[in-house]
Amino acid sequence: MSALLQVNNLHKFYKLNGYLFNRKTFTALEPLSFDIQAYKTLAIVGETGSGKSTLAKLLVGAEQPNSGTIKLNGQTLQPGNFKQRCQHIRMIFQDSGTTLNPSLTIQQLLDEPLALNTQLDEAARAVLIRETLQKVGLLADHMNFYPHMFSGGQKQRISLARAIILKPQVIILDEALASLDPSLRSQMINLLLDIQQQMGLAFILISHNLGIVRHFSDDIMVLCEGRVIEMGSTAEVLNKPKHKYTKKLIMSQHFQLYHK
Amino acid sequence: MNLLDIRNLSIELLSNNKPILAVDRVSLSMKEGEVRGLVGESGSGKSLLAQAIVGVLDDRWKVDADRFHWRGNDLMRLSIEERKKVISKDIAMIFQEPMSCLDPTTTIGEQLEEAVDSEQLSGYFWQKKQQRKLAAAKLLHKVGIKNHELCTKSYPHQLTEALCQRVMIAMALARRPVLLIADEPTAAMETTNKGQIFRLLASLNQLKNMSILLISHDFENVTHWTDTLTVMYSGQFVEAGTTAQIFDKPYHPYTRALVDSSPKANLQLPAKSRLPTLPGSIPILQHLPIGCRLGPRCPQAQQQCVNAPKVKNYHGHQVSCHFSLKGTY
Amino acid sequence: MAREKIYQEEEFPSPLMQLWFNFRQKPIIMLGFGCVFFLTMLAIFAPILTPYPSTQNHLNNLLLPPAWNNDGNVSFLLGTDKLGRDMLSRLMHGASFTFGLSFIVVIISSVIGVVIGSLSALTSGIKSSFLNHFLDVVLSIPSLLLAIVIVAILGPGLSNTVWAIVIVLIPQFIHVTRNEVKQEFTKDYVLASRLDGASSLRILRYSIFPNIVEKIISQATLAQSAAILDIAALGFLGLGAPIPMPEWGAMLSDGIDLFYIAPWTVYLPGLAILFSVVATNLVGEGMRHALKLRKDK
Repeated sequence: MSALLQVNNLHKFYKLNGYLFNRKTFTALEPLSFDIQAYKTLAIVGETGSGKSTLAKLLVGAEQPNSGTIKLNGQTLQPGNFKQRCQHIRMIFQDSGTTLNPSLTIQQLLDEPLALNTQLDEAARAVLIRETLQKVGLLADHMNFYPHMFSGGQKQRISLARAIILKPQVIILDEALASLDPSLRSQMINLLLDIQQQMGLAFILISHNLGIVRHFSDDIMVLCEGRVIEMGSTAEVLNKPKHKYTKKLIMSQHFQLYHK
Repeated sequence: MNLLDIRNLSIELLSNNKPILAVDRVSLSMKEGEVRGLVGESGSGKSLLAQAIVGVLDDRWKVDADRFHWRGNDLMRLSIEERKKVISKDIAMIFQEPMSCLDPTTTIGEQLEEAVDSEQLSGYFWQKKQQRKLAAAKLLHKVGIKNHELCTKSYPHQLTEALCQRVMIAMALARRPVLLIADEPTAAMETTNKGQIFRLLASLNQLKNMSILLISHDFENVTHWTDTLTVMYSGQFVEAGTTAQIFDKPYHPYTRALVDSSPKANLQLPAKSRLPTLPGSIPILQHLPIGCRLGPRCPQAQQQCVNAPKVKNYHGHQVSCHFSLKGTY
Repeated sequence: MAREKIYQEEEFPSPLMQLWFNFRQKPIIMLGFGCVFFLTMLAIFAPILTPYPSTQNHLNNLLLPPAWNNDGNVSFLLGTDKLGRDMLSRLMHGASFTFGLSFIVVIISSVIGVVIGSLSALTSGIKSSFLNHFLDVVLSIPSLLLAIVIVAILGPGLSNTVWAIVIVLIPQFIHVTRNEVKQEFTKDYVLASRLDGASSLRILRYSIFPNIVEKIISQATLAQSAAILDIAALGFLGLGAPIPMPEWGAMLSDGIDLFYIAPWTVYLPGLAILFSVVATNLVGEGMRHALKLRKDK
């Protein structure tokens, strides 16, 4: 099966201020490449500062790479062209508190991506919003509520609704499950698995909880300070880690993967 | 003899409409040298319980208990000042975000010296300053910070969260407490540093025989580092017992759901299959269900569950449920 | 699928309605709000409501004391001034000058300030700094002095004083708008909107402005109380409204010479100024208090 998303030699560095002649740079991400297929999940793990959020921002288009290409279905995605990208790659953020605009109702919130990117008229948009809310397990009546009335788990569902409403092909979960309580996390994982099967999505899960990663992902990529340390299928990497950084990561959470 | 013996503690929020029972008849007991975990999701009232033990709740909350004994002394009969004196001598508490718990305008050294117990310093008054400095350095060594010179000169924002948490633990150790209450100590840290803090707490427990009450919502971490567990849901007592008992054979449906949601128990499940969950979400304070608060979500709920269940004890494994899962094991 | 509960019997208001509920909680704030409303109505409808035209001289009744005094006359409820003009009508008409003009001044300066502040927040680097700070020179000169200078250049008259005070009030709006917009830009929902392909203008209008409009309004009430005092002060100095116009500050300066004989010509306009400034400040205070309550919830 040809890859859904192909990333080639994506490289990002920042110029540091204050060095007028020396031009020191800070490499956030060394050149890396990977592929993702539909119906599959890629997990990206690493500590803070390893470059996972930079990679997420580059993929979704919030920042532009210094070199490298991202191809979706064979078509190169141009940096800076949000309209082209947002229909195919969407993102769910970590902090559910600031991810929803507090002054807009849910309907207005979900209306915006539709109004900007599709040609549907108002009635058709309302129908689509209703369907999407039902798909994530909320009621159609919730359209008229404001974000502050919802709990954390429900806010993440609304973020998920905002992500799937344009029927994308790739969804990036930037530590979206980290702040949820354990029972809500399981519900969210079940929901994500269902939607993946229904819509044929590819997920990119950025997390540092190896237990979730083991359960939820097919492939895994370990980053450390911008470099790819190890990449491969989850079962292989987590059971037989080759690099010592991966081993250290697994050992620090070892009680999550093996019985006491 | 039990160090801390609490029976049927309730905390009521006196609001204008009607009083809300934020914590409903929870019992807790701790022995010397024990590491007990207090597990619950958000809204379970575990932080409220800890604050009630230490006595820092404000006037909005009313605390009531059948029994509240500390080392044999009945604290309910003492006045507030006496209670505070007894508690502050023997119990210490550390909190969730250590960097924001430290004063950002003074150096660590000054804050540590302030926390040093002046009764333990001997000598004439001109020697006290030097002794205080020495005591602060010794405290830092106890928590594993070898380079105390650099640490005492820096401000809180210059250190990492894990280091700040160690400083908080050092300050808590200053009065040589018998019980340390840790309210989500590692919530704000990265995973590699979490292990350091837990190892430190475990070593303190072994070396000094200090009891630790570890409050967390991170079920996986807590089960690794504790001897006994108490589980709370939405202000009510759910289950208590040794960690092995609870993890291997949870009697209450809620504990079962918590255990199922942790990846440790899911090793047998094939990858990318649905996880077993409880439907619904945690009730909010304004709309608490009557009787057993898990009722609306519980797969085994029946009409009897509108009455709050009593606590049953099976060889030290206590559970509060009408239809516990004991029969299935 | 999990069913989320909806509680039909509770009201779930929008953030604006929440602000209104918090606002209504303190009675004294509502009193201030009522007074501001009353003054606004007075400012709009004064020419219709006044018993006598404000410039009409009643030469028979010069310097009549207010009606509660023994020598007063009930047909001139608050007395007359040295030219026989009815104080009540002058005061009511003066509301539309002092209060009404301050309103207009605040609206103009807030619009200009918000536009410049948003431009400053959207750009970055030197352009942004320039836009943010180029009117700061105005902040360094006391407002009254600046108004006098501008009026000295442009000549006296009501419209020139309006421009002077507008210029004085703009910088604070620029700073507040720029800070708030910059803060909003760090939030995730603005990033989500941008990723959806929204242009900057659309983001400003739909995502950012609904969240900062309350702060701008509370800044505007602060500016309005300053504007009332400035307009009155300029009128007192004779630089504002021309002589026959019943502006409160001008009325004050008229009455000063005769203070010992006819004190009501001085204290009545003074009380009117005090009343409008206190009412405006109460409303501003109430709005800030309501905003804080809403944030804490």
